[in-house]
Amino acid sequence: MCVERSVSSDLGAMTGPSDAAPPPAGEGSTGPGGERGRTRRTAIWLLGAVVVLDIVAFLVIPPFPKGEPGKPVTGIADLITANLELPAPHVVWDFAPNDPVAPGAIVFNHASISSPIFTTWLVMVVVLAIVFMWTRRMTMVPGSRQNILEFAYESLENWAISLGGPGVARHVPLFASFFLFILLSNWSGLLPIFGRFEELRAPTSDVNVTIGLALVVFVYYNYQGFRALGVRGYLGKFFVLSGFRQGLGAGLIDLFVGLIEFMLEFIKPVTLSMRLFGNIFGGEVALGVITALTIALLPALMLSLELLLNFVQALIFSTLMLIYTIIAIEAPHAEEHPRDDLVEAPQAGQAADHGAGIAGATAGATR
Amino acid sequence: MEHIGAGLAALGVIGPGIGIGILTGASSEAIGRNPDAGGAIRTNMILGAALAEGLGILSFVLGILLWTRIGG
Repeated sequence: MCVERSVSSDLGAMTGPSDAAPPPAGEGSTGPGGERGRTRRTAIWLLGAVVVLDIVAFLVIPPFPKGEPGKPVTGIADLITANLELPAPHVVWDFAPNDPVAPGAIVFNHASISSPIFTTWLVMVVVLAIVFMWTRRMTMVPGSRQNILEFAYESLENWAISLGGPGVARHVPLFASFFLFILLSNWSGLLPIFGRFEELRAPTSDVNVTIGLALVVFVYYNYQGFRALGVRGYLGKFFVLSGFRQGLGAGLIDLFVGLIEFMLEFIKPVTLSMRLFGNIFGGEVALGVITALTIALLPALMLSLELLLNFVQALIFSTLMLIYTIIAIEAPHAEEHPRDDLVEAPQAGQAADHGAGIAGATAGATR
Repeated sequence: MEHIGAGLAALGVIGPGIGIGILTGASSEAIGRNPDAGGAIRTNMILGAALAEGLGILSFVLGILLWTRIGG
């Protein structure tokens, strides 16, 4: 029986999609060969139906230039711009209509609720609802819902620990929440209704949201750095003065390298936010253009590619947040004589301490 | 002129593209040689690709900024 079935399935695979043998009627119609052939035929029917639907939709509701229904398209540019959204967030509810935003401004401070903010709330509601509802009545042997969440959290925790050792376990909650929020935000933009309603837009395709996330990361890892190393230790990573013991030249080089690292600290949130925004927005632009130019099959492939890329972007953002934290809390590498550093730093590091006196006092108080 | 500028800015994606290609090729080779170290290599590859890609994204964002200025 088993042999027969496998042979028939091989035959079914060889005969090709167009003329797959129909399942034998008397066999109960559960053989694997018949099932595969039926699945394939269903897929082909679906493909044909999608193409026909696309053409019918094209004829019934002809495309029009953006914002001007009824007008005919004049060129390929109209098709493309009809599917694009500008990077500037769309203001849905305006609280200060007397003070309008400059057209084309991407980052602005305006009392209003824009579409990314609204969608952010939706995503937050979804995440919180899933997490709260699926962790009610937790049992020792997890049910399916609890199992999903445990799998997600344990995978993220293992990933984090493989990066930074068991010491990073305390940063895993923020890491996991960044990952889940950004993942759902990215994927929300792939839903068909997004972009069709003016209230809905993937939050991470707006540069304001990603800048906000990156600033949270910036504050967090600097706080963790101050907390782990102390004010003097953390600032000592950037304003390196211990090199002067080896001579003036070595001291200047160390100081210069430290200053460059200090400036790189401020590049980190910029690249972090721009990477996420650029990828998600670029993906949406690419999807829109491909959808405008081709028939429905290629956008479907593109959509699955975007599904993967958005996952990778969420992982990259949260992983970089973790790595920055690990870098911030690790001790500076001149660790052969930490006692000397501690003793000598007050005299040598006066200039550095001077500027950071206030920040140092507050961070020292919280320590 | 701004159209040309936007196009030129988007050309900056070429460099990270080459870099990510080299990176992925080298790490695939490394995983092939030493599959046991695959996890660590893959982690480093993704991080390096992210860092290289960030530079390309900067030029892309610059292009978008120019483009929105064109669109008004």
